[in-house]
Amino acid sequence: MLDPHQILLAVPLLPVLGALLCALFGSVKQLKSWSHVPAVLCAALSCACAFGVVAQLQQSGLPATFPGGDSDRIVWFGMDYAKARLVVEFGLSADHLAGIMLIGVTFIGFWIVVFSIGYMKGSPGFARYFAVVSLFLASMNLLILADNMILMFAGWEGVGLCSYLLVGYWHHKHSAAAAARKAFLVTRLGDVGLILGILLLWFMTGREGFDYARMFSNVPALAENNPVLFPLSCLMIVLGAVGKSAQFPLYVWLPDAMEGPTPVSALIHAATMVTAGVYLLARCTPLMLVVPGVQLTVAIIGAFTALLAAFIALTQHDLKRVLAYSTVSQIGFMFLAVGCAGPALPKIAVVAAIFHLFTHAFFKAVLFLSSGSVMHAMHDVIDMREFSGLRKVLPVTHIAFLCGALALAGIPLFSGFWSKDMVLEAALEAGHSERFGTIYMILFGVALTTALMTAFYTFRAYFRTFWGPLRMPDGAHPHETWVMNLPLIVLAIGAIVVGIAVEPFNQLFSGFLSKAPFLAATPSPEHHLNWPLILGSSAVALIGVGIAYFMYVKQPASAAKAAAAAGSWYAFSLNKLYVDEIFKVLFVQPMNLLAGISSLVDAVVSDLTRLIASIPRAMAVTIKPIQNGLVQFYALAMVVGVTAFIGYLVLFAK
Amino acid sequence: MISLPHYLAIGAILFVLGLIGFLTRRNLIVMFLSAELMLQGVALNFVAFSRAHGNLHGQVFALFIIAVAACEAGIALAMFLMLYRKKRSLDISLWQALREPGLEETRDTVPLPVEPKEEPLPVLSVSGVEPARKERDYA
Repeated sequence: MLDPHQILLAVPLLPVLGALLCALFGSVKQLKSWSHVPAVLCAALSCACAFGVVAQLQQSGLPATFPGGDSDRIVWFGMDYAKARLVVEFGLSADHLAGIMLIGVTFIGFWIVVFSIGYMKGSPGFARYFAVVSLFLASMNLLILADNMILMFAGWEGVGLCSYLLVGYWHHKHSAAAAARKAFLVTRLGDVGLILGILLLWFMTGREGFDYARMFSNVPALAENNPVLFPLSCLMIVLGAVGKSAQFPLYVWLPDAMEGPTPVSALIHAATMVTAGVYLLARCTPLMLVVPGVQLTVAIIGAFTALLAAFIALTQHDLKRVLAYSTVSQIGFMFLAVGCAGPALPKIAVVAAIFHLFTHAFFKAVLFLSSGSVMHAMHDVIDMREFSGLRKVLPVTHIAFLCGALALAGIPLFSGFWSKDMVLEAALEAGHSERFGTIYMILFGVALTTALMTAFYTFRAYFRTFWGPLRMPDGAHPHETWVMNLPLIVLAIGAIVVGIAVEPFNQLFSGFLSKAPFLAATPSPEHHLNWPLILGSSAVALIGVGIAYFMYVKQPASAAKAAAAAGSWYAFSLNKLYVDEIFKVLFVQPMNLLAGISSLVDAVVSDLTRLIASIPRAMAVTIKPIQNGLVQFYALAMVVGVTAFIGYLVLFAK
Repeated sequence: MISLPHYLAIGAILFVLGLIGFLTRRNLIVMFLSAELMLQGVALNFVAFSRAHGNLHGQVFALFIIAVAACEAGIALAMFLMLYRKKRSLDISLWQALREPGLEETRDTVPLPVEPKEEPLPVLSVSGVEPARKERDYA
């Protein structure tokens, strides 16, 4: 019964079952208000199975697979031509990288589902919400566990679909529906790149099976034989990661995606789905290692996005938007770390990226959930100008948010500090390399600046929300319930301890991840704590927090003065660098123009058809009146007709 | 000597009488009777030609016509009954709904002649008493 292969299969399958049961519950009237139960149970069981898989992995050191043996492989689909052969198998495999991702996704996913019970209570479409969230967990697990890129792509699209459904959860609201469409279409740009990249890779390698192990087995030869196609396919995969992980220039969908319910923002748009791009790049490390140019591109995109998003986050008034931009910025950090994997050792760079991903999932989830709690209490108002001083009325939320904020800002000893430190260390290491050394040095500087801005905007949001005089919008009824507090507490503890417990002093995390098959062969770094860097980044974080404290607590008037002094820079940041407007002019308006032309052509064509059709109709008007419904008139017409016919036959026809 | 043209003349007269009746009368049952008359005119033609040619082809058709007319009578009378129940009248001009949409209903320009009321039959009283005439409604 408890065969390890089947436990592995249960990890993605249980949430599917949960989704089906939720849908079933939702369609039965008596069970409707109970439709969260299957989602919670299946998420919990799936999480337990994930822990089982990882424990087994830790014990044996061998990746768990499904199906068990080579003999009973399951073919999903395949095609066989004379020149090309594609066989896609359904295979799951949990190596160390997948194990870490699994823990993050299922554990945080479970607590967010619990939080949702309180948050979504009484909302229309209660069952729909839990069904889609369950389906999301299933897709995300599939994405992580797939042992070939095409199955991975199926999960990738699945999470995209669920993201669309959940962002547009309140679809009667125009802005939510528009945000859902935007999220779907913008990530689609990346997805097209990803599938092209996958097919290019298949074109080069996949004659016999297409799983990761076989694909990575002879990468250098592959790169040598295909000097153009190989880097191209890597770039395409990076494009897919950029779209999904909301990096420049495709990040525009993520801030708008905050239209969805807040637990969704926490789960999908902070902790799990948006980090799928980082996971993909980490997974493809063996490919990326042979193309340093692509690596550098990834690092530059990451660092630039981190800076850009942090700059925008400095001035936003919407609490959730601040967090959304900080997510974009933090994923930029992860990209930077992954991009350092060539010049710095992969065991440093990839581990740094995944470690930051892991801690970020915890502290960003708790930040989002706390802001959801604030939103719940403030009657769906999330604008920081509308409220302040909430620390007395929402004590648990306040503490949880503080824990998350400390971690995000990179205050020493909290989880975000350690992981951000590793990212900086990877960038610094890469800066010492020969080839693009100076560029990586600049990126390191950018990252350090971003860390300063991060600390500032995080605590700006914290002080504005929880400090100062107590102010609340009309209709607010501040309250906290245990079903929402419990996940906050659990995740807040995670945000505090998950960093210090597993990495800086015992190297538990990096030791575990380094055993992943694609990392095991690379050289190991010597472990040391880079004290100058640690002290420097702590100082940076503390300075950022100090500035925020000064501007928003000590002298609240100075914030406005600083904004006025910054002038156009302030407006620039407040209006998100006008990127949305630029996109509108560059893409949306030409498309609208094209649509207008098309509808004009359409109108011409259909009007022409109508014109032609109106000719017989006009002719018919003259003889219409003889259809008068009188039986005897018809009989008379028949007699006249037959008489005329016979008369002609008799008199004229020969 | 009665020859073929005589039979044909009678057949034609029957047919034309039926036709005129069908086109001019408004009562459904009378129209139906007129149609039967036309059928009998045609049947007479068949029989006459059958006799003239000295074979039975025409007689077979005559038999068919009689059979069809019988079926027709069964169906038509049942339908008239249903139509009568809807409108309490047998006037064919009440059924004009299948005309072209938007077209006005055709109405009589001259009102129909009012049929004279039948004089009620005398009601016989018990013997020995003088018979009295009482008005009774026969409608």
